[in-house]
Amino acid sequence: LGSFYGFNVDHGYLEGLVRGLKAGILTRSDYHNLAQCDTLEDMKLHLQSTDYGSLLTAGNEDLTVSLLDNRLKGTILTEFRCLRAHSLPPLSTFLDYITYSYMIDNVVLLITGALKHRDVEELLPRCHPLGTFDQMAAVGIARTHAELYSAILVDTPLAPFFQDAVSEANLDEMGAEIMRNKLYKAYLEAFYAFCWERGGATRDIMCPILEFEADRRSFIITVNSFGTDLSGGDRRALYPSCGRLYPEGLQLLARAEDHEQVKAVAEYYPDYKLIFSDTEDGSSRTLEDRFFEQEVHLNTLAFLDQFHLGVFYSYIKLKEQEARNIVWIAECVTQRQKSKIDNYIPIF
Amino acid sequence: MSGKERIDIFPSRMAQTIMKARLKGAQTGRNLLKKKADALSMRFRQILRKIIETKTLMGEVMREAAFSLAEAKFAAGDFSTTVIQNVNKAQVKVRAKKDNVAGVTLPVFEHYQEGGDSYELTGLARGGEQVSRLKRNYAKAVELLVELASLQTSFVTLDQAIKITNRRVNAIEHVIIPRIERTLSYIITELDEREREEFYRLKKIQEKKKQMRERTEKEIAARQALLGPIAEPSNMLTEETDEDLLFE
Repeated sequence: LGSFYGFNVDHGYLEGLVRGLKAGILTRSDYHNLAQCDTLEDMKLHLQSTDYGSLLTAGNEDLTVSLLDNRLKGTILTEFRCLRAHSLPPLSTFLDYITYSYMIDNVVLLITGALKHRDVEELLPRCHPLGTFDQMAAVGIARTHAELYSAILVDTPLAPFFQDAVSEANLDEMGAEIMRNKLYKAYLEAFYAFCWERGGATRDIMCPILEFEADRRSFIITVNSFGTDLSGGDRRALYPSCGRLYPEGLQLLARAEDHEQVKAVAEYYPDYKLIFSDTEDGSSRTLEDRFFEQEVHLNTLAFLDQFHLGVFYSYIKLKEQEARNIVWIAECVTQRQKSKIDNYIPIF
Repeated sequence: MSGKERIDIFPSRMAQTIMKARLKGAQTGRNLLKKKADALSMRFRQILRKIIETKTLMGEVMREAAFSLAEAKFAAGDFSTTVIQNVNKAQVKVRAKKDNVAGVTLPVFEHYQEGGDSYELTGLARGGEQVSRLKRNYAKAVELLVELASLQTSFVTLDQAIKITNRRVNAIEHVIIPRIERTLSYIITELDEREREEFYRLKKIQEKKKQMRERTEKEIAARQALLGPIAEPSNMLTEETDEDLLFE
């Protein structure tokens, strides 16, 4: 219960900062203006009137979509680093948890690169900057899996995930994707446990978000594994168990063989039933788009409550979604495919 | 241009026959080459039409493929590094075969799949549908590109072959055949002239002989006149009386 009284002592400044930053997230009318643009130059003009200000005017490189993408990611990175630098426990642990998902991607990339004997120096710039850890360069030195695990990965914050999910023996047999998904499952479950332990408003806000994430991954892994070599038993090892589908839904999903059966599983849960039922209307929204929408909705709910850690997580996720939206609009504009330009997910 | 040349050859009847045969050969060759050039041109025009069709289709397909890449990036995040890391062998390969058109070999490329899809699980947790759509679109683009490559190489090869053939046809028509014809007419004129010379010579000899005969006759007549009447030796056969007969 110290959460209520003592929260502002440690985290009040940062919560205020995040709420201020949240006010700068683009609104529907901003997106509408951006979608009307015909060139990237117009978009740059519109972005100058938002909180992004001189994002694109600084420097004199050519204005391309990839430049825009890099600059947007750079802003998220700076904001996150600023928050992390000023934070105290338990917020600092919470923010570290957020970085673990990027770390997992980086580790998988480096491991596959090292196993194919590629130069680590080439891969380092391609890692996600939010997921850097100290031993990254050292991953390239390891020559066998055993070395990799015992010497390097053990010291990273990801070690507990490796222990649960992956043993030394089967590191080499697994493909990169399977390893990534197993690590992510362990990560989600650990994060969920952490939030549950915090209690109070943090638990009330974060746990539904993480449950949704877990279920969403289970659904999407199932749907995407139809027609591939991934069998039901293999799939089950990838389903995170911290969602609402656990345990019965996950069992049913592992046995599902086509889209109809997956939909039948979703029927038992009213939220998911809604998501699955809309995809058959012939609208241009795919299943994934609907999941994105639901995620954004849950994240916006975080700002309605105070004195909890969820605002930080939601802010980062929403900022990322905004970056994706802007890049999508930019791509549509440059490729002159205005028909699908409204496929972005509006946030506020 | 070598306008007034003819082949240097001694003009004779045999040479004339040889030249006639060569003329015939040159004309047949020219007709055959013309037929080859026509066949090649026909194929050339077909290929040109196909290229235009394929290129416009290519524009559409590439545009769609690039857009599906943007969609996949929106749904699945940045998977480019994962894809690059997992590259080991090519899945789609190209074979070259030969096609023959009127004696000209044209290369034809066809693509074939080898090995399974090593990117089956990319985007497993996010954006898998967009990634598989992306793969399909780019596979279509690659097929079109291979076809376009065959068409373009055939185009270039055929173009060269047509130029060479036409050059040969023109060379035969405007250089070889006139040269042979000129040689032939030269031979014929030489032969005619030789005949005329022969004829003239004969005539001249006859005249000379006649003149000589007249001259000798005149001389005899003159000599006879000088000698007076010459008793002709008696002709035994025309004698009426024979002296040697004692008793008559």
